[in-house]
Amino acid sequence: MSETTYPDPAAARQAVPPARAEGMRLPLHWLGVAPFFIFALMFLILPTFYLVVGAFQNDQGEFTLANMAALFQPSILAAYWISIRISLASAVLGALAGLAIAVAIVRGGLPKWVRSTTMTFSGVASNFAGVPLAFAFLATLGRLGLVTVLLRTWFDINIYALGFNILSFAGLTLTYLFFQIPLMVVIITPAIDGLKKEWGEAAATLGATQFQYWRMVVIPVLWPSFLGTVILLFANAFGAIATAYALTGSSLNIVPILLYAQIRGDVLHNPHLGYALAFGMIFVTGLANIFYIWFRVRSERWLK
Amino acid sequence: MKAGRFWAWLTFALGAAYFFIPLIATLEFSLRMRRGEYSFDAYRVVLGDVRFQETFLYSTVIACLTIVIGVLLVVPTAYWIRLRMPWIRPVVEFITLLPLIIPAIVIVFGYIRMYGSNSPLPFLATTRGTDFLLMIGYATLALPYMYRAVDTGLRTIDVRTLTEAAQVHGAGWTTIIARIILPNVLIAVLSGAFLTFAIVIGEFTMASLLNRPAFGPYLQNIGANRAYEPAALAVIAFAITWGCMSVIQVLSRFAPKSANNPN
Amino acid sequence: MFKFTGKILSLTAAALMVTTAVGSAQSMDELVKAAKEEGQLTTIALPHDWCGYGEVIAGFKAKYPEITVNELNPDAGSSDEVEAIKANKDNKGPQAPDVIDVGLSYGPQAKADGLIQPYKVSTWDSIPDSAKDADGYWYGDYYGVLSFMVNKDLVENVPEDWADLLKDEYANSIALAGDPRASNQAIQGVYAAGLGAGGTDAASAAEKGLAFFKELNAKGNFVPVIGKPATLAQGQTPILINWDYNALSGRDNLNNNPPVEVIVPKSGVVAGVYVQAISAYAPHPNAAKLWMEYLYSDEGQLGWLKGYCHPIRFNDLAKNGKIPQELLDKLPPAAAYEAAVFPTLDDQAKAKEAITKNWDSVVGANVQ
Repeated sequence: MSETTYPDPAAARQAVPPARAEGMRLPLHWLGVAPFFIFALMFLILPTFYLVVGAFQNDQGEFTLANMAALFQPSILAAYWISIRISLASAVLGALAGLAIAVAIVRGGLPKWVRSTTMTFSGVASNFAGVPLAFAFLATLGRLGLVTVLLRTWFDINIYALGFNILSFAGLTLTYLFFQIPLMVVIITPAIDGLKKEWGEAAATLGATQFQYWRMVVIPVLWPSFLGTVILLFANAFGAIATAYALTGSSLNIVPILLYAQIRGDVLHNPHLGYALAFGMIFVTGLANIFYIWFRVRSERWLK
Repeated sequence: MKAGRFWAWLTFALGAAYFFIPLIATLEFSLRMRRGEYSFDAYRVVLGDVRFQETFLYSTVIACLTIVIGVLLVVPTAYWIRLRMPWIRPVVEFITLLPLIIPAIVIVFGYIRMYGSNSPLPFLATTRGTDFLLMIGYATLALPYMYRAVDTGLRTIDVRTLTEAAQVHGAGWTTIIARIILPNVLIAVLSGAFLTFAIVIGEFTMASLLNRPAFGPYLQNIGANRAYEPAALAVIAFAITWGCMSVIQVLSRFAPKSANNPN
Repeated sequence: MFKFTGKILSLTAAALMVTTAVGSAQSMDELVKAAKEEGQLTTIALPHDWCGYGEVIAGFKAKYPEITVNELNPDAGSSDEVEAIKANKDNKGPQAPDVIDVGLSYGPQAKADGLIQPYKVSTWDSIPDSAKDADGYWYGDYYGVLSFMVNKDLVENVPEDWADLLKDEYANSIALAGDPRASNQAIQGVYAAGLGAGGTDAASAAEKGLAFFKELNAKGNFVPVIGKPATLAQGQTPILINWDYNALSGRDNLNNNPPVEVIVPKSGVVAGVYVQAISAYAPHPNAAKLWMEYLYSDEGQLGWLKGYCHPIRFNDLAKNGKIPQELLDKLPPAAAYEAAVFPTLDDQAKAKEAITKNWDSVVGANVQ
């Protein structure tokens, strides 16, 4: 958004930051974000610092790169790769489905109660994960699940005979969508609210079709928010372990499960490898974040 | 707009089906506790417990306070970044993604190490201090969602113009944030509040290791090695949390109106 | 391979028990007084349905009402407990565990890391040597064997042995109660299957166990879900391989809905021992010691037996006729336990290594 200048000299005098010399601006700027950084430092970064340090230590406390080197075993690399694929799949699908639902409830001309009910429901559903969620899907689409049985008795369709299996990549992604889609709905709805009615009217006046309106006005405006939420969904799925563990526990080789085995389990106990795994996950998330930033900056140029 | 409405209803219906069918399956299973017939036995076992009410109340109060902390932390920060320091956004966004990646158990063990009874900042030395630390832990866990929600909301309003307009009228920073910006992003803040609330009610690891009587550990304790009770609990927890959120939603209607209210 | 011979040990134990061999300098009365002064005991990772801990804790509270029992994180695994001690080194608040109950292999490791302190309970000598640390740092508390928990509604003919599991009638039925890459219960399950398939030592048992599960998976009998009573009842995992005490208490909880049968396999009977220890940084060391005294008294041991766990002093109690007949009746036949194998620390380490490393590649239940 461009700078607006006021013709009123009184206002110009009152413009903040106070008209000091350039050099003194810096400290004041930082004051605004200081609480956040102090909070993050005290309650997020420092407490988990021993994780970063631990990734580079061995049991005797000496500095070592052995843990990091161990990350490059084929089974661990495979775990990272599967984790990334599942997170990406559930993030993109969840984002698209969530966007569709959000648009439907905001712009679809539906009664008012639909919107508020969906928002509150999505708030709850976004956190419905772990054992209850895994069990819910087993109870629905497992071999003796409600839907499986009903399809067989009413329509004579045996989905398992057709190759479906809830204990698979597809099944896990489907289960992940249960908390990914609501997350998207909850976060993107305010952005869709922000699409001013006037824009739609203006576009119509200029002769744009619905499709053109969407393609040239709505999508570019929503794009940065959409992308930001996709990365949030990605990180959300990437770090999610409870659901995967409960659903496909011993058949899926994903990083959080490996992490879990090292720092929480009953048998292995190499916390340093666990920390290295966590460090690797932070690294992957950082890379994803960089990619997202790059992508967004490119699209935001359009907005300016 | 008729075609539009049809598609909207269809999308909504498909979404509702996807979400409700697994919940119905869980419900159906929870009703099977008595052999051969449907009954509410599992629910009677769960709801009859006095600890259910105690822990739920505790978690609800903590959740509301956590939302306050979250809003106080995130709204000014997101606003300031948008206004003055857009270049720092990638760093802040990365930081807000960290709680999703770092396991909660690592965070809480870090708290115990840093803020134990013998440390310079002994949060854990008193019960209230521990409660406070728990709220901060929850605010940290909810940070990704709160930040993303507020940031998305801020994106839709013209922060710069609003600020300058307010300053023209002599408003100080607190007034600007509290009376100009906040009402305009209230819907987004509400989204963040919902997500925070759900997280706090269901959270288990931090509450358990910090030894506070929250709802999450209670759920875990009851459901641990049983078959039907956990399903009943999942349904109850879902229903109750949804109920609380609806209450928050209703209360928010009494907030100051803004130009960005849903049309 | 260690065989648990009751006779000789209990004779010696009975003889030694006459002399008081308490490892601490306090008498029982002093200990009780000191513990009451501390007023609190913090435990961790003790689910109420595991080995009847709910009743055991209630019994302790009833006996010493001045001591509040503060229970942390019943969902914790053995690693969590050790991490909790480490994290709470400088913290004397109620978040610091006083006592831990961990898998056998965690005892020596915790001792080496200086996380536990020694204490010899008054019944020390009736604990078999192989299940305790000579210096008193850690000591076995109970054991159970791996069994099959079967949903009788869905399974007509119950399997009697490991080889039976490969039968066609058990398609899509069999699950482990944990992840074999992380859970002790699951790893011992693979180990037991290996012994049942003819393995003779740790390495061959691990190898044969993995091969067994590979075959089970290839036939389509194996369900790669972490089995629980809920999934057993729902039908996803009608046959569950877990510790007998979990299976039996699960059976009781389900209350015939569905009816459950618990079978100890004929071959490949593996016993898993858990150990108790007192944290070196315990804020309430005397309460911790009193707790240990309680657990290893006849009362405490029988409490575990009620929860279907075999207390470590089982043979001693049996010999002295301390076990009520109705309690014995509720357990699977004693004959099944005679063939129980107690893997040594070495065996466990080797098996653990082999199974966790090779599960993904050999069994290949890998989701694509």
